[in-house]
Amino acid sequence: MNELEEKRNQEENKNVEIRIKDVDMTFQDNRGNEVKALAGINLDIFKGEFISMLGPSGCGKTTLLRMIADLLEPTDGSIRVSGMTPKEIRMQQKFGFVFQQPVLFDWRTVRKNIELPMEIMYYTKADKKQRADEMLEMVGLTDFAEHYPKQLSGGMQQRVNIARAFGGRPEILLMDEPFSALDEFTKEKLHEDLLRIWKQTNKTIVFVTHNIQEAIFLSDRVCVLSPHPGRLSAVIDIDLPRPRTQKMKETLHFSELYGKIRNSFEGGSI
Amino acid sequence: MNRLLNKKWFSVVFWTLILVVAWETGAFLVAGTKRTPENILPHLYQIIGAAFSTNKVTSDQTALQIVLINAGQTLLRAAIGFLLGTVLGFGLALLMKLSGIVEKIVFPYLMLIQMIPILGMAPIILSITGSINTSRIIIAAILTFYPVATNTLAGFNSVEKEKHELMYIYAANKFTVYTKLLIPGSVPYFFTGLKISAPMAITASILVDTLQGDGGLGCMLSQSLKHAMSIYVFWLIIFFSAFIGIFSSYLMGVLELLFTPQKHAERKKEGK
Repeated sequence: MNELEEKRNQEENKNVEIRIKDVDMTFQDNRGNEVKALAGINLDIFKGEFISMLGPSGCGKTTLLRMIADLLEPTDGSIRVSGMTPKEIRMQQKFGFVFQQPVLFDWRTVRKNIELPMEIMYYTKADKKQRADEMLEMVGLTDFAEHYPKQLSGGMQQRVNIARAFGGRPEILLMDEPFSALDEFTKEKLHEDLLRIWKQTNKTIVFVTHNIQEAIFLSDRVCVLSPHPGRLSAVIDIDLPRPRTQKMKETLHFSELYGKIRNSFEGGSI
Repeated sequence: MNRLLNKKWFSVVFWTLILVVAWETGAFLVAGTKRTPENILPHLYQIIGAAFSTNKVTSDQTALQIVLINAGQTLLRAAIGFLLGTVLGFGLALLMKLSGIVEKIVFPYLMLIQMIPILGMAPIILSITGSINTSRIIIAAILTFYPVATNTLAGFNSVEKEKHELMYIYAANKFTVYTKLLIPGSVPYFFTGLKISAPMAITASILVDTLQGDGGLGCMLSQSLKHAMSIYVFWLIIFFSAFIGIFSSYLMGVLELLFTPQKHAERKKEGK
């Protein structure tokens, strides 16, 4: 019996990509007071999953993402990615990161921006070109390959950002409110694009957002974080079928999920 | 009128016209004061006339020949000093960025250099080096060095945190961060430094010329007043110096466009 259970645990472990255990994060503010940003976070993220961190500002969702990416270290607790520390995974160049702002290099063309991670990873010239072509096509920017970022609209810049992140073939893609600065129409289009690309590549995506609808539309699971201190209030399965369509947003089930998420913020609705 | 003023060529013509009118008014007033020499502020046509006159102002050279030959000498020294100062300035900015200790040690001296009237030190540098050519190069280099170093350093520091984080997430090594991010990112700042220092290097070279009679525009400036050359030659040199000063800065702008293709592309887009 015990053996069987252990075996099942191992099976499960195989599918766990990121294991967050008892993570606390404490910052010092300007006056030297300690501010608890995250308290007692426990979460397993599975391989190939699209998971969202949802919460109001100050709930520590970005902090959690940055800890996975090895941009921050937890004060307490541990984070393991495929059994290794975030630093080890980062050194193996397995992360992709999409910032809120496009963070493109002005002096590089769209193609060259997409090739940047590949250059850092020493891809051969032919590989780089082929992969960049693929990525350009994937985000629909083939005609803009030789343009410079400043010549593109905000939505197009963000698509370059996404193409750059996927281009380096990351195992795990971390996205920090990538669409929050875009208008509603561009956002919807990019949601569909992102889901299509995700399906093609089968990567694990950790997606930070403060938009409930966006979280439901994109994710397999939504982690609801509440502020002061940041803590995990609920993890909600989104059982909407895939591929997701804009029409689903008008269904009753979608509203139910919306309400469920809303009510799971601690202290009631926000 | 406003729309006309917005056109580049129009504003150039407009301001040139105003300058010409102001100058000629001055020339008429000075001519009326009966000072000696009467033509201390000659009319523009007289200066232009001097430039194209075939009369020899020294034993074997016309005014234009004098200006061009000496300008060549002055410019060459300025250019060598400018290049030297640029390389040193860029190198020091790189060192300061690479090492916080170097920055802490060097930066106060850098500020100090800025406060010393370097041009005033020309005579002492001349007596140390004993060569007018070396002094010209050194002074031009020192004057170039400061704007290039500080602007390039500012350029390095202007690179946004997110870009650094992006390089960090891809585990880029230091060399890659410098070659792919910091150095290309500082190019516009670097050229700002060059645009400031190019005319300064030329001015420095001209001023050091005046110290010793060994050729160069500055030397001719003092000679043209003391000796037989006409006042027109003096003004010719002044105009010519101003012109190459402006041109040097403009040249840096052109070079910048070559090194920053994105600006070129943006301009083309705006033109459409």
